[in-house]
Amino acid sequence: MATVTEPATRGHIPNEIFPPHPEGLLGGNHDTVTLGDKIADVVIGGSTPKAWWMWFLFGFMLLQGLVVGLAYLFYMGTGVWGINQPVAWGLAIVNFVWWIGIGHAGTLISAILLLMHQKWRTSINRFAEAMTLFAVSCAGIFPLVHMGRPWLGYWLFPFPNNMAVWPQPRSPLMWDAFAVSTYLTVSLVFWYVGLIPDLAILRDTAKHKLQRMAYGMLALGWRGSAYHWRRYEKLYLLLAGLGTPLVFSVHTIVSFDFAVAIVPLWHATIFPPFFVAGAIFSGFAMVVWLAVPLRHYYGMKDFITDKHMELCAKVMIATGLLVSFGYFCELWMGWYSHSLYEWETTYQRIWEGPYWWSYWCLITTNTIIPQLLWIKRVRTNELLLFLVAGSVHIGMWFERYVIIITLSRDHTPGAWGRYAPTEWDYAIMVGSVGLFITLFCLFIKFLPMISITEMREFLPFKQGGRDGHAVMENAK
Amino acid sequence: MAPEHASSTATAEPEFWQSVDQWMDTPQFREMVQNEFPEDAAEWVDPVSRRQFLTLMGASVALAGAVGCNPSFKPASQRKVVPYVVQPDQITPGVPLFFSTAMPQANGVGLGLIVKSVEGRPIKCEGNPNHPSSEGAIDLSALAAPLSFYDPDRSQACRMGETATTADKAIAAFKEILTRQAEKPLADRGEGVRLLTEPTTSPTIFRLMDDFLKRFPAAKWIQYEPIGNSNSRKGLFAAFGKNVTPIYDFSEANVVLSLDADFLSGPGSVRYAKDFGARRRISTIDATEELEEKHAKDNPDDKTHFHPKWEAIIAEATSGMNRLYVVEGALTSTGAVADHRLPLKPSQIESFARALAVELKITGVTAGTLPAEVLAWIAPLAADLLAQSGHCAVIAGEHQSPAVHILTAAINLKIKAGHAPVKYIPPLDGVTGDAADDFKKLVAEMNAGKVHTLLMSGVNPVYDAPADLEFAKALDAVKAKKAGGVFHHGLYLDESAVPYATWHINAAHFLEAWGDVRGHDGTASLQQPLIAPLYKGKSLLEILATAIEFPISEAMALVKDTWEKAFAEKKIGETKVDGVPLTFAKYWEKSLRDGVLIESKADFPKLKSAELGEVKLDKLAAPGFTQAAIDKLEIQFRPDPVLFDGKFANNGWLQELPKPVTNLTWDNAAMVSPRTADELKFTQNFAWTGGERGSTETDIAELTVGGRKLKVAVHVQPGMADNVVVLHLGLGRERAGKVGDKRGFDSYKLRATDGLWNAPVTEMRRTGERYTLAVAGAHAAMESRRPVRHASVEQYANDEDFAQIPPTSAAEFEEIRMLTPGTIENFQLNGLKHPYAHDHGDHGGGEHDHKGHDARLKKLSLYLVNPITVNGEEATKSYRRWGMTIDLGSCTGCGACTLACVAENNIPVVGKDQVMRGRAMHWIRIDRYFSIPGHATMSDELGAAKIGPEKRKEKIKESSAIRTHFQPVPCQQCEKAPCEVVCPVGATVHGADGLNDMVYNRCVGTRYCSNNCPYKVRRFNFLQYTDYDTGSLKLLNNPEVTVRTRGVMEKCTYCVQRIRNAEIEVEREWKNRSGPLLDDAGKPKLDKAGNEMRKPTEDKFGRPKILDGDIVTACQQACPSQCITFGDLNDDASEVIKAKAEPHNYGLLAELNTMPRTSYLAAIRNPNKNMPQGA
Repeated sequence: MATVTEPATRGHIPNEIFPPHPEGLLGGNHDTVTLGDKIADVVIGGSTPKAWWMWFLFGFMLLQGLVVGLAYLFYMGTGVWGINQPVAWGLAIVNFVWWIGIGHAGTLISAILLLMHQKWRTSINRFAEAMTLFAVSCAGIFPLVHMGRPWLGYWLFPFPNNMAVWPQPRSPLMWDAFAVSTYLTVSLVFWYVGLIPDLAILRDTAKHKLQRMAYGMLALGWRGSAYHWRRYEKLYLLLAGLGTPLVFSVHTIVSFDFAVAIVPLWHATIFPPFFVAGAIFSGFAMVVWLAVPLRHYYGMKDFITDKHMELCAKVMIATGLLVSFGYFCELWMGWYSHSLYEWETTYQRIWEGPYWWSYWCLITTNTIIPQLLWIKRVRTNELLLFLVAGSVHIGMWFERYVIIITLSRDHTPGAWGRYAPTEWDYAIMVGSVGLFITLFCLFIKFLPMISITEMREFLPFKQGGRDGHAVMENAK
Repeated sequence: MAPEHASSTATAEPEFWQSVDQWMDTPQFREMVQNEFPEDAAEWVDPVSRRQFLTLMGASVALAGAVGCNPSFKPASQRKVVPYVVQPDQITPGVPLFFSTAMPQANGVGLGLIVKSVEGRPIKCEGNPNHPSSEGAIDLSALAAPLSFYDPDRSQACRMGETATTADKAIAAFKEILTRQAEKPLADRGEGVRLLTEPTTSPTIFRLMDDFLKRFPAAKWIQYEPIGNSNSRKGLFAAFGKNVTPIYDFSEANVVLSLDADFLSGPGSVRYAKDFGARRRISTIDATEELEEKHAKDNPDDKTHFHPKWEAIIAEATSGMNRLYVVEGALTSTGAVADHRLPLKPSQIESFARALAVELKITGVTAGTLPAEVLAWIAPLAADLLAQSGHCAVIAGEHQSPAVHILTAAINLKIKAGHAPVKYIPPLDGVTGDAADDFKKLVAEMNAGKVHTLLMSGVNPVYDAPADLEFAKALDAVKAKKAGGVFHHGLYLDESAVPYATWHINAAHFLEAWGDVRGHDGTASLQQPLIAPLYKGKSLLEILATAIEFPISEAMALVKDTWEKAFAEKKIGETKVDGVPLTFAKYWEKSLRDGVLIESKADFPKLKSAELGEVKLDKLAAPGFTQAAIDKLEIQFRPDPVLFDGKFANNGWLQELPKPVTNLTWDNAAMVSPRTADELKFTQNFAWTGGERGSTETDIAELTVGGRKLKVAVHVQPGMADNVVVLHLGLGRERAGKVGDKRGFDSYKLRATDGLWNAPVTEMRRTGERYTLAVAGAHAAMESRRPVRHASVEQYANDEDFAQIPPTSAAEFEEIRMLTPGTIENFQLNGLKHPYAHDHGDHGGGEHDHKGHDARLKKLSLYLVNPITVNGEEATKSYRRWGMTIDLGSCTGCGACTLACVAENNIPVVGKDQVMRGRAMHWIRIDRYFSIPGHATMSDELGAAKIGPEKRKEKIKESSAIRTHFQPVPCQQCEKAPCEVVCPVGATVHGADGLNDMVYNRCVGTRYCSNNCPYKVRRFNFLQYTDYDTGSLKLLNNPEVTVRTRGVMEKCTYCVQRIRNAEIEVEREWKNRSGPLLDDAGKPKLDKAGNEMRKPTEDKFGRPKILDGDIVTACQQACPSQCITFGDLNDDASEVIKAKAEPHNYGLLAELNTMPRTSYLAAIRNPNKNMPQGA
């Protein structure tokens, strides 16, 4: 049973020098108290770094794009975007899939890595989960607002109604509605359950009454009793088990939006694994993007060490190669199928069509540039890794763009057309980035970005911890 | 109450309870009626408000009840009435009424129409099957007429200068001028008074004009048409020494040569397209039956089963096909369907005609010089014409010089075309001289100050007169005289009205006015109004009659009087109808109902060869007759194929309709061939927004013709002759209205009297400016996908399956055909017997059964039409299965189907900006492809895989090799529709009769269905496209079709409202509707016992049957070349099941297992083997 939440004196300094962490997953000289202080101080004490304000205001500014963009969209209709016949889906769906992909890493890290005894997950799972929630929230906006009549969006859910109509269960869009909402719900619960002991710590160490009350309420009366811990850990494990299949199901189902259609190059069995790999790929790229400023502005290098960054990079190269294999499969199947539509569309996509450049953007940023990660210096250099992760963001965005734009040239040449996003497409896209940044800034400001209790558990025995996550390590 | 059957003759006695106020003619009653809502009095000058509409509606509905039992009489009055409180008989709210009328079109020639009227408002024009010019089909301007009628920009009040006035005052002013004239000696009466009207064929107007000119002999009446027929008139006058108009009978023509004549599109083309198209469609089924019957007749003893050989079948089936040669500079609809097409500079066509005449040994003609590849045409063409002597026609376009018309007349005489296909009749418009010359003289008189009063009716010369005449200045000269004034009578306050007109009288639209008009062969029709005039407009008839104090001033009475006189003169009363002599009342009633006046055609008899005499060739080289060859770049002006001369510029339906061949909307452009564009360094590329589906970026050129300059966008048009610029007239209006203002480029500015049709281009240079044209569907090549399958007769004879081979999985074509609903193979697959299946299970494609196909391939689809048992017999599960075929062989790409669909289904106009974004809403898209077919093979050098953009750019310059294909693509009504499975809310579902239904109310607008539609035929309301604000436009909507809102997907429904109406009708009436079954000659068929056979009205399971023709979709009804067939696939007797059994029937993208209910009949062309260029 965990006993790491014992009261400690704030400002206490460990009086011995601990040996360096054998796996390099911890830096500095921390015991449970200094560790708790370091993380909790960001929320309840200390000063807010200037960079936070900068990022927050930047994000908030971009968020206005969403506000204005949506207001105009709702007033006018989806025609304010660049979508048309034949490209009836545009940036909205590109962004939806992109965000959903990013939203993948959080639950993967929290749940799957937990179940797989990966200790390095502990330092990054909290903000990665937050990332998931915010990314899924950003993603969730798009399918709703891209509807011609968004006020009827609830018709995608089965509910008893006097019109006696139900969703059409053969449509992947209905599966999407279930998959995404389930994923969001489970991720939220998982995240919140994990937060409870930390909220209690914040309640107990808070300096102001307001903070005490707020965190107190959120902590749901957590007292750290053995019963609480026992139930907490059981629930946490169960949620981890529940979250694990969702990691695979969400993007699989999102990929069905394309795979079930008969559009050439959409209709492919490669899509589910290909999409899941891509999602993890982009999710980890986003973890890198978030970890770098946290390490930089909040001095979290002790907890998010170079080793963590390198491990993220390794996941990226693994999933990146899977994704590239997917690209190869698409080309191969286009050729091997001997179907005129498949091969011609492939040929249009990579060479002859008006959007050939987007395919090569995708290959450059998603296949070629990530190969740099084979070099250890790139994996361990924060700046280079950051740039490679940025390339992956662009690449994964283009991947979806390339898929959507396939619509411009499908079966009937007489119906071929083109698509270009309008300023309103971009406003909403940029606005969703703003929403993400804003939410993430608020998260850093008001909630512990790294799990205090789990980190305390993670500390080696000597430093007062249990050398791993109690749930799993106890089970050993 | 008034008596049950009030007299409907033109007397002053009160009619029926229609005229309640007449009936209760008391001042109090009038007061009450007029002052009930005094505060709304102002509404009468505003656009039609809802309340005003209700009143008007009430008016026409009451009229309907008023005039008696005959529905034809219903809209027959414009007298003031009040809304009804008791429902009159014949009016059932919700049930539309149909009235016949006629629309005066180009050169005053009328097109007979049936207009659908819903609760008193005319909403759709359809062709009148009784009318010889339409035979039930219709053209674009008539289809678009209801929108023009409700156009909120129409002139709604009379004006004196800038101030509003009444028609009475305006007419009184004109009358006063005439009264002053009446004081002069007879010979001078009418001096300085000129009437300038659009051409007319109206006998009643002729009567009035005769009367007018008799009383005012010094006055003149000029009929003015910017796109007139003075070239042919002049040429034929020179040839025959009398005024004649040629009319054609394409049902008799085996070989047709068009010299720059676009006789298959534009006004007056409906009947021609219909007759022509009938001879482009082939039926191997009919041919087989004929051969079998013949065999049975010849060999009465042969009891074995006889099945003719394919070679014999195809020879029989194609024996009736005609052959079309087209020589033209532009690429027109007619050129697009030609078997042989020669792009030739318009100024060289005269040389071509000369060369042909020389080859045909017509004496007195000297040949001009022509390039060798053109000369190669002459001999085989002449041989073909001579071989078909008596059954061929040569047609010269109005754009050609009078000399070409003389030559054409001579050639036609030589090849004995006058026997059947070409008929010369006296001109319908009564113009004896040269109308263009008359107009020139008028302008000269005006400038010379000899004209003080000018009445312009239905014309807009300030906009469309030749630029060198400077008509506006001439009008100023008339106005400066101050003795009379300029009277403008028109539907709009157009360029000629403001600021030139002293008086403007707003005209009544033809849908709200009485009149009469003659069809192309002289058959007269009555033009009966459908509604009281919306804005109290006046017709020319009324103005003239009032102004000249004709004894009758009321329009209906006038028209009736004309025909009552004619009735007496021609002794029509002696004809018996159903054994009873005709009374005038009956005659009038019948004429109104039928839409044509009996015997009226007789006034315009076909002139016999003796009357015509020999063709005189003396004027052939006279100045003003011949066209000098233009060496360098030359311009040709042509009427816009959709907007015609610009009259309809404010009609959004027409503006947005992609023009045939070019697919251009909302604009015109200077069209040049790819090679000429290259030489002049014009470039054109697709914009990122919309791209091929709407946005084409192009250069703006400065075009100088005879010192006049115009900046105009360039459009590169493959297939055109090199060194030719074709510019359509009719756009660039300044005062057309909100829709038509400043659309496109005013090409009239370049057009002068010495170059009305052709002129040398002084200079055409790039300005450096760019312009975006809205070109809907600009992608040219078929990309080896064979969406349009086509072959020559010979190729078809060699390979009966040519149309079956899909672009992919070619080996499985038989299996794919099995998945095309309605085919014999499809029936077999489902264990059913196809009505046209041969006994041993084959027809046409039958031998394939013996080819030893891999049987494992048979089941391409998991989904089969599960047969069920009804009364012990196998039947398909669905009771009625709607299906359609579209014959690509006779489609001219005219767009009538698209427009009919717009009118029927309340399809909104989206505007140029939205078209450019790729969002045009038309439910039927006409895909236009170019190909360069090989001589012997089916290859397409333009669309072959991986030809590459560079090589394609070079290839497309081969203008003479370019072949144009049209493919109307509505919803294919897939049995296994990809759109249905992906809709998350079930907004698109399958109906019991197999229709792919769209439930607008349920649609949330995810657009997934559109993505998943391989045909991309779904249309989405990206914005609020339907105009909910303009009152008068609301009246236009068809109440049987939901008006869609923003955010909703829509698509072709096979006109489901018509299907449901027919179903209701048949359920109610089927026991009573069994008419006699007619044979081809129209006589009742007899069964073996000698009894008259009745039409089957129930299927073999005893279920009521909907017969062919009970449901006609809007597109099918409109199609001038009749290439659309619609019907029930479960009905053995339907035309559609017969068409589906044809070996050249194929399903578009059927290899995707969509099982499309709409299928296409491949285009079969009939080229001449001896010609230098193949099919």
